Amino acid sequence: MRAIIHVDMDAFYASVEQRDNPSLRGKPLIVGGHAQRGVVLAASYEVRPFGVRSAMPMARAVKLAPQALVVPPRFSAYADASEQVFSIFERYTPLIEPLSLDEAFLDVTASLALFGAPAEIARRIRKEIAAELSLPASAGIASVKFVAKIASDLAKPNGQREVRAEETVAFLAKLPLSRLWGVGPKTEEELTRAGLKTIGDVAARDVAWLEKRLGSQGRHLWELSQGIDPREVVPDRAAKSVGAEDTFEEDLTGVDLLRPHVHAQALRVGRRLRKAGVRGRVVQLKLKFSDFNVITRRTTLSSPTDDGQALYRAALELLERAHEDKPLRLTGVSVQSLDEQEPQQLGLFSAPPPPRSAKLNAALDRITERFGSKAITTADLAKRGGDGDDEEDRWGRH
Amino acid sequence: MEFRIATDELKKALYRAQGIVERKTTMPILANVLVNATKSGVTVTAFDLDIGIVSEHPAEVSKPGAVTLSAKYVFDIVQNLPDAQVTLKKLANNYVDISSGSAHFKIVGMAAEEYPKLPKEESAPLVQISGNTLLEMIKKTQFAISSDETRYILNGVYFEPQAGGKVRMVATDGHRLSLIERELTGDFKLKGGVIIPRKGLMELKRLLDEAPDAECHLGFAENSALFKKPGLTMVMRLIDGQFPEYQRVIPKEGEKVVMVPKMSFLESLKRIALLSADKSYAVRIGLEENKLLITANNPDLGEARDVLEVAYRGGDITIGFNARYLTDVLSVMETDEVSFELGDEHSPGVIHAPGDRSFTAVVMPMRV
Repeated sequence: MRAIIHVDMDAFYASVEQRDNPSLRGKPLIVGGHAQRGVVLAASYEVRPFGVRSAMPMARAVKLAPQALVVPPRFSAYADASEQVFSIFERYTPLIEPLSLDEAFLDVTASLALFGAPAEIARRIRKEIAAELSLPASAGIASVKFVAKIASDLAKPNGQREVRAEETVAFLAKLPLSRLWGVGPKTEEELTRAGLKTIGDVAARDVAWLEKRLGSQGRHLWELSQGIDPREVVPDRAAKSVGAEDTFEEDLTGVDLLRPHVHAQALRVGRRLRKAGVRGRVVQLKLKFSDFNVITRRTTLSSPTDDGQALYRAALELLERAHEDKPLRLTGVSVQSLDEQEPQQLGLFSAPPPPRSAKLNAALDRITERFGSKAITTADLAKRGGDGDDEEDRWGRH
Repeated sequence: MEFRIATDELKKALYRAQGIVERKTTMPILANVLVNATKSGVTVTAFDLDIGIVSEHPAEVSKPGAVTLSAKYVFDIVQNLPDAQVTLKKLANNYVDISSGSAHFKIVGMAAEEYPKLPKEESAPLVQISGNTLLEMIKKTQFAISSDETRYILNGVYFEPQAGGKVRMVATDGHRLSLIERELTGDFKLKGGVIIPRKGLMELKRLLDEAPDAECHLGFAENSALFKKPGLTMVMRLIDGQFPEYQRVIPKEGEKVVMVPKMSFLESLKRIALLSADKSYAVRIGLEENKLLITANNPDLGEARDVLEVAYRGGDITIGFNARYLTDVLSVMETDEVSFELGDEHSPGVIHAPGDRSFTAVVMPMRV
């Protein structure tokens, strides 16, 4: 039995606009494109009573709600918010299947022992989204994906709903046919004509009866009506590691002396990650003391990164906790749990823009490629003469 | 039931059924064809509950009747018969005797009454169409149909009549999109577009390929499509749902436009993709002054690189693409040159014939 949470941000684009511009709060708001040709991208809850829905042509929306405020979309703001929302998901499970910028399935089956019941996890996620982003989100909790999605929809706005496995069939039974995945207006009409009104009516029919009427889709609908949906939550990543380490000319003691080395190593790892087109989540710091005793400390980032600065921040925290003021002969930074960036195909209908740091890093990489690793670096390393990539590297594959 | 028919006619009928009958099914009878002999001839019906075809053939019927037979085995048998004529005769318990020349087969059949009924679509307003045009439209969109069953809306081609006697067909798998607009005059009486499923479309293509010049009719009713040509009727269930707003993802004009010789581009892509990582077909397409570069690298094998001479004067750019998405498009184009429009590494590339966007393919880049 799986525990699946479907988290869906409420009127996402509109909520971000209302958050960032207090004069829009509590007002009927439409985020949309050109008044004649565009479509509604998001409608705030205040404007929904007028019948305005997303994907509706703007011209029609403006006619339905002439008093509504209309703002153009700011995709980069939504992408930033989305990134933060997903990093909150990652605190609870690595099994995250994004459906769009503002919606994802989370499989928290393996997280229950750590964080408590699925509804409790959903509550925490929504609370953290509210506290850190000031945005409303709704959640559906169920043992299969499509039921979790229906549940989150019914919980909106700013609510959550759990459908326990044993309640699934009864929960579905009362819902109208259109709630079944795959039932469009025509199938609905066909079933309605045959006297079926609810998902329960579908469940009560014989599979063969449905197959006869709907073809192969009939069996699929019947299975869904029984709460059978074998689709799993599919994230995609594989494991490898990338690292950099240096043995010092003489043993060093104290964070102040070690910090620039760790920083340089983190930047090198970042550069190699980018070169390899991978990003990692688990940062490991290796320390070899003067007595050759080796310890490693690791931490998991909220989201995978190929940004050296982010790796440095994580590694520094580990260093501050672990160095024990004893003389060290070596430090090393490595990253594991790489999301295998096999060349990643971008989508036509949901292209997530790259994070801001990516542009900076790409520029730095071009400079380094042309003028060498000493040409540009961070201020703390500048006086050391760069973060030389000619030092010892370590590439690992497990 | 007893009739004599030309072996080739029966072979043709059974060939048409092969793509439709279901072998992995909970209803064994769906692996069969329904053979129905009447005074006017013989019809052979294949139906998988979603798609059905009824094929009519001349035959000397001495005793009308009907039976169902395994589509696959009888096809194999008919392909190997010794004589140009074959006689089928129903025996007791739905056994069928197939005899041709000196050869005899006694085959187990199933009762015709148990065969599921095809939906009746007499109400569909039929429009006479050019088979050649429809065939072209299918060939230029089918490759972009999604094979991801969880995105069932995308498992077909969107068929959307336009103003002025034109029809647009659009397919997309969410990564690339193919759109073609051609003249198919006539009123399909559709409110918007409909989605024709892949399997039905492939069967339609096969039927059109048989004789593209034959008189063809196409129509839609309720949730199904009807196709007729002399001696043949096909019905299929359409995909029910809202096709995505495809217009939104077709860029008006790319920032960087380059004319590329089609054949060299196609061959080069195939060559270089041999070295793409993990069969991902990922290649990098670079534009530099008067050069189009195609490169790939595979961590286990090595690297590949090719250059095409093109007239190009914009800034340098490198964008990753799935080579197969590009070759799929180029393979169906007729012009010697194609117009390739690019934005940045996160924006779709567009391919169409120079000065003609009536066939337009949109391909999203890969992050490589």
